[in-house]
Amino acid sequence: MRIVAVTACPTGIAHTYMAAARLEKVAKTFGHEIKVETQGAMGIENKLTESDIRQAQIAIFAVDIEVEGKERFHGVKVIQVPLQDALKSPEAIFAKIQR
Amino acid sequence: MPQNSDISTRFVFDCPLASGLHARPASHLSEVANQFLSECRLTNLRNGQVANVKSVLAIVAADVRLGDRCELDTSGTDQQIAFDGLRRFIEKDLPRCDVPLAGIAEFTRSTTPPRLLELAKASCIFGTPVSRGLGRGKVVILRRMPLPSSLEAGNGVSPQHELERIQQAIIAVRQRIGEKLKYSLTPTGTAILQADLAMASDVFLVEKLKEQVLRGMSAAQAVVGVGEFFIALLQKSESEYVRQRSSDIEEICLQLLGEVHPSATPVAIVVLHEPSVLVTETLAPQQLLELDRKWVRGLVLEHAAETSHAVLLARSLGIPTLAGVRNGRVVLREGIEVVVDANRGFVVPHSSLEVQRFYDREQKTLERRKAAHSTTAKHLAVTSDGTRIEVAANVAAGEEVTLAFENGADSIGLFRTEMLFLGRDGAPLEEEQYAIYLAAVRAASGRPVIIRTFDVGGDKQVPYLKSASEDNPFLGCRGARLYAEHQDLLQTQLRAILRASVAGPIQVMAPMISSVEEMLEFKSAIEQAKLDLGQKAIPFASDIKIGLMIEVPSLAFLVEQLSAQVDFFSIGTNDLIQYFVAADRTNAAVSSLYSSSHPGFLRFLKQVVGQFRRAGKWIGMCGDMAADPRNLPLLLGLGLDEISVPPSEVHLLKREIGNLRASECISTLDRAISCRTSTEVDELLSARASERMAPLLSEELVLLESTSQTKEEVMQEMVDAFYIAHRTEDRQLFEEALWAREAVYSTGLGYGFATPHCKTDAVASDSICVLRLNEPINWDSVDGEQVRMVVLLALRNSEDGANHMQVFSTLARKLMNDDFRQHLLKFDNAPQVIMFLSEQLGIQR
Repeated sequence: MRIVAVTACPTGIAHTYMAAARLEKVAKTFGHEIKVETQGAMGIENKLTESDIRQAQIAIFAVDIEVEGKERFHGVKVIQVPLQDALKSPEAIFAKIQR
Repeated sequence: MPQNSDISTRFVFDCPLASGLHARPASHLSEVANQFLSECRLTNLRNGQVANVKSVLAIVAADVRLGDRCELDTSGTDQQIAFDGLRRFIEKDLPRCDVPLAGIAEFTRSTTPPRLLELAKASCIFGTPVSRGLGRGKVVILRRMPLPSSLEAGNGVSPQHELERIQQAIIAVRQRIGEKLKYSLTPTGTAILQADLAMASDVFLVEKLKEQVLRGMSAAQAVVGVGEFFIALLQKSESEYVRQRSSDIEEICLQLLGEVHPSATPVAIVVLHEPSVLVTETLAPQQLLELDRKWVRGLVLEHAAETSHAVLLARSLGIPTLAGVRNGRVVLREGIEVVVDANRGFVVPHSSLEVQRFYDREQKTLERRKAAHSTTAKHLAVTSDGTRIEVAANVAAGEEVTLAFENGADSIGLFRTEMLFLGRDGAPLEEEQYAIYLAAVRAASGRPVIIRTFDVGGDKQVPYLKSASEDNPFLGCRGARLYAEHQDLLQTQLRAILRASVAGPIQVMAPMISSVEEMLEFKSAIEQAKLDLGQKAIPFASDIKIGLMIEVPSLAFLVEQLSAQVDFFSIGTNDLIQYFVAADRTNAAVSSLYSSSHPGFLRFLKQVVGQFRRAGKWIGMCGDMAADPRNLPLLLGLGLDEISVPPSEVHLLKREIGNLRASECISTLDRAISCRTSTEVDELLSARASERMAPLLSEELVLLESTSQTKEEVMQEMVDAFYIAHRTEDRQLFEEALWAREAVYSTGLGYGFATPHCKTDAVASDSICVLRLNEPINWDSVDGEQVRMVVLLALRNSEDGANHMQVFSTLARKLMNDDFRQHLLKFDNAPQVIMFLSEQLGIQR
């Protein structure tokens, strides 16, 4: 499956990046292809392009704050979870997607 | 008596004041009521208390709180006028009557305790730290004197005579308060004194006193009896604030008692025999000196007397002191063990094990910080390529000299003596000055002390020098220009300085010189003083060095002439800049022109310093420009022999100098001089400042053997590590920022790791701190597991943190990696941790 994701936390110093690393790693074990955009203290990095989003079957928002540029995801199935879930049990997120 | 049912003289209002009608607003209200003949009554409809509005005490006793509905009525010949007047006051002025008393700009008051003490439910009582430090001891309450509980019965006294004595006593007490009011310098002091003044002639109080005397009591008995009556009345109040006002009335009654019966006024004699914390309303310096210093571990003052002599004395003796501790004597019980934490600003009972543990750890933190501090302080400031610069301190009082040297000052670069002349009725005598200069030079033990002769005029006016008012005082008769007219004062001061110079290397410096003539006159004044002393066979150092402040640009064009006359020079940038750019720095409309970054001014400085140095003269700088660490590259580039700064800045500047290369500073100065605008210079300096920020990682921030037992202790330990390393000066703010993040959800990320983090300017530079626990602890981690390793990330708000953020995000990602975590857990020492992290995160070392 092709997945896009966005991570964002209130201070944007640590958890945004931890969650991104975690999602990337676990997605691989599920055999998914994932691209994770981080919205942290350095601004938006690894930005999802229009074609990234168009080609994805699903978008995951692992966020504690509002996602910047939400309108980009119009027409894509989005599931939003608290960022902590991406740290705690990313497996559960992917299991949910497959169902 | 008119029957008072007339609706027009009744008025209902709700109390608009947050702290209710306490003494200060009550004194304003009663002042208004006392203008009228009518009886003015206020009824608190909540509790039914009725008060005579002419009495502050009665109003306070009515316990009117915020929102209480009250009824006001007047009756008497001028009832309508009285009613209108009071109504106008209540509607228009009363709501604004309780402007919070001004705080102290220099010393900020904290209001939150450290997390650990909060958890321990320790009751911290806050005050303003006016002399820093930590002290522990038993509470000794210095009551100025309690009202004597009984006095022998008055016999054979005539009530009329006693009444007169009471009236005279009231006049005397009011006069004394009035005198104090004249010299009150702060709005706080003024407001408190005004309330005291109203209380001292309160109609209710006077009425009661009269009543007692007419019953046959002596004046002294009446004062004691009435005092007790009011104290009991106020203490019955439901409001704690009103209860606490009983000490005010006690104070007034004691003063009255002192007038009518001086021998009945008890004098407190306190003998200390164990570590003690003194709690008192105010303290006379004499009182403090009488106590056995070795047992005085802390001072808690109820009054906010930040500049009182007792406070200055406490500071010079290094006694941790809190001021403005409201009701200290009420809340702190005699004999209990307390800690005065005058670093944070509160006093706390040392009762529970938690508090003990907290302060045992705090003690170690302070010792380690001091050790780190004195290492820097002991060393001379040298740039990384070996250029030396003296870092001296500016002081305004003898007490500051010791503090300056403790902070690592190499010498005293500017002793401002005008403080000795300000705020008094006449100039200080020779002996007084001699004692002060002698104490300073002794405290300096062989290190130079530059004493500047009195510099008044301009913005510093001294009433007894009666200078004519000037349209433009900064261009008028100030500094050395006053000396011709006040030769006597100058001679007195010079004799005192010369006499003290026997004890150590004193140098004397003249302010506000603009011509060679003035300098010659100053020198002949010194010769005159030497002559006088010589005739009286009083010893002095005949070779005392003479210098001048460079504050007027004209001096830059008299280098040769002045160098022939003068031993040393010190640049006073504050005035020099304003005369150079012709802009009054206190005038907001032009203050933007006033900048030490003016490229033209920098070129001017370079020329001045270069010329005087080529003439073989010693040249320093003692203005504000020298105290800003951002300016250091410029100052080193100029090649100054010395910079003189406030004692609190010495340590930081010395450390910063070690991070700079003199050769680079010379080119930074040249680049600054060729900038077009002050803004460009500021940008250049900011860029240079961020280049030399402390590194992200340092051994002081790697704690591998932590014995902390809770999350709170870990946080405290890490914050303390920053404090020891001088990476934070405000631990409270830093800690709060960390806990604010923690409140969103725990930073325990699982796998035995936690990553507390925050963005705050409470830290001096972006930093990573690593802590490994001997015994794992709970961190409410996502996986419920205990935490073994804590990696703290602190980022400053204001800096452009892009570079460091890159490192932080890499670190965050790596922490998700099993190998990385396993590695981090197993190192034996700090250098290994730093080497590993630097490699992994791509930090150049």
